[in-house]
Amino acid sequence: MAPKRRHLLALLMVLGLVTAAACSSDGGGGISGGYSIGLVTDTGKVDDKSFNQSAWEGAQDGAANIPASATASYIETEESKDYANNIQLFVDDGAKIIVTVGFGLGEATIEAAKANPDVMFIGVDQWQNEALPNLAGLMFPEANAGFMAGALAGMLTETNIVGAVLGTDLVPPVVFFKEGWENGARYTNPGVQTISTYHPGGLDVAFGDPEWGATTARQALDQGADIIFGAGGATGNGALIEVAGEAGALCVGVDTDQWFTVPEAHPCLVTSAMKLIDVGVAELISQAYAGTMQGGNYFGEVGLAPHHDFDSIVTDEMRDTLAEVMAGLADGSINPMPG
Amino acid sequence: MKPRQKQLLYAGAALLIFVAWMFYTADGPQTTAVLAGTVRAATLLALGAMCGMIGERSGVVNIGIEGQFLMSAFVAFTIASMTGSLFLGTIAGVGMGLVMGWLLAAMAVGLKVDQIIAGTVLNISALGLTSFFYDRSAVGIGKYTNIDLGPLADLPLLGTVFFSRPPLTYLTMALLVLVHVALFRSVWGMRTRAIGEHPGAADTVGIDVLRLRYFNVTIAGGLAGLGGSYLALEAVGTFSRAMSGGRGFLALAVMIFGRRTPFGAYAAALFFGFTTALQNQFQLNNTFDIPPQFVGMLPFVVTIIVVAISGLMGSMRDPAALGQTYEKG
Repeated sequence: MAPKRRHLLALLMVLGLVTAAACSSDGGGGISGGYSIGLVTDTGKVDDKSFNQSAWEGAQDGAANIPASATASYIETEESKDYANNIQLFVDDGAKIIVTVGFGLGEATIEAAKANPDVMFIGVDQWQNEALPNLAGLMFPEANAGFMAGALAGMLTETNIVGAVLGTDLVPPVVFFKEGWENGARYTNPGVQTISTYHPGGLDVAFGDPEWGATTARQALDQGADIIFGAGGATGNGALIEVAGEAGALCVGVDTDQWFTVPEAHPCLVTSAMKLIDVGVAELISQAYAGTMQGGNYFGEVGLAPHHDFDSIVTDEMRDTLAEVMAGLADGSINPMPG
Repeated sequence: MKPRQKQLLYAGAALLIFVAWMFYTADGPQTTAVLAGTVRAATLLALGAMCGMIGERSGVVNIGIEGQFLMSAFVAFTIASMTGSLFLGTIAGVGMGLVMGWLLAAMAVGLKVDQIIAGTVLNISALGLTSFFYDRSAVGIGKYTNIDLGPLADLPLLGTVFFSRPPLTYLTMALLVLVHVALFRSVWGMRTRAIGEHPGAADTVGIDVLRLRYFNVTIAGGLAGLGGSYLALEAVGTFSRAMSGGRGFLALAVMIFGRRTPFGAYAAALFFGFTTALQNQFQLNNTFDIPPQFVGMLPFVVTIIVVAISGLMGSMRDPAALGQTYEKG
């Protein structure tokens, strides 16, 4: 290779490295002066089309709602050891409100809240054992959402087998979704067989492995499941898209209305078990700005997404049953996780 | 291979077939589902292992397979959703793989950079670039569907497991044979193994060591590129960031486990795929109440044991010039 070309090549490679370094932990723009809101994701990505994305949208809505000209920005966590560092980056930059997304950041968030009493913290999916005045844990009754979706699945299944492809059992909300889903299916269809699988990996990969999601969904379809719940970020999305390729099979999304976030799943998506994370985050940001935010746990809402293309297969009878289930869950007469 | 080893191999294979048949008669759908999942999970690993194998046989370590997968998956998905053609997407993915292979060759062979560093550069750049340029509004156009191979697809068990597969899986199986023949039955293969074992000797008989390494590492990148296309367009049907999820590294383990031979690597890949499918099935059936992470760990434990035992027995040996840059003397 001629020396000149060699230099060019070296230059190209350096450029490549710099680009890579520049975006290996890419923030959504720098923090300027004024009122700023920071969001730290879990190892999932801010465009994961479900959990983190929903929280990020909530942070943006929250920033838009408050009177001061507020800016929202995010940091994506690449590895779980960086939780505390990423939170600290926002503290150092003078953020007034910091949203941390996911069960995994719980401890790091509590530490940061104790160390920085002037900064308001919102922890999505983080249960607070003791209430700190500047930290609100945004919790959702996932078991209820799962139960509603499962109740619908129990009525829709023709093979009497319903499947679930899930993130990891290391994250309690995922377990609540699963238990709720299975109990819901049994509630409307006592003879149903529920087959569910958790990702075998750790927190770092469990929500970012669509290939495993797809392969596992196929394994469940192959043994007769005709409706599958995909719950676990990109992993669950892989399952939804796999089901979309199977004629006659249905799928259920998670966290947001995945009709809008995973268009590839249109051929099968009958509903989504939603946690209204965006609404909850935006509400807490408004409260934090107004100084009315209470420390401790704040409960957001859950619900079922519309049926979209499958509106016609959900009969009036099923809708009545679903309404009963929702009422029962609301007044406590139905326990989504008995035992 | 010694006759005794061969006998063991045949005995093992016969035992496996017998066990599979027993399970099949006990529960057809479940056995079929597990074995189909096994073959499916093995395809990507086999492609990655072939990529690594061609590099290592020529003396170049490639730990950038992960990055090659990811970058090619990204390009394959992007081109497929832009043009609406899975085929064009696949070609673009392979093309990107060749480019990544060329980059590795340029660094590791041309510039004589440390090979481990060069591979790491690929991995980091791929993660950064794909994350930066990923357009989350891009929608996939579906994925390759199964093609039934005529009457073969109607066979019990084997039909679903091997003869009703999507096209890139068939292509991978064909490539396994092709790479085996090329490595062990062709002039190219002999030269390739020569420059990995003793580049100085190869040079004295007139083989252009650097040029052949350049060529091989680039071509091997194409195999990883096909793996990326498979990941985005056949296995999943969309792109998501860091979707290769460590399979590029797993492919290296598969390659070592399979003694840098295509069929050995495929057997190892099937084994890895089998443990994944099996642990899923344990959970689906509620068979044992053991943590999924435990069974998920098994292939790695077995790899360590196998590599350790073969190391002790002295039956596993790296190509002699592996990881060394060659200076024409």
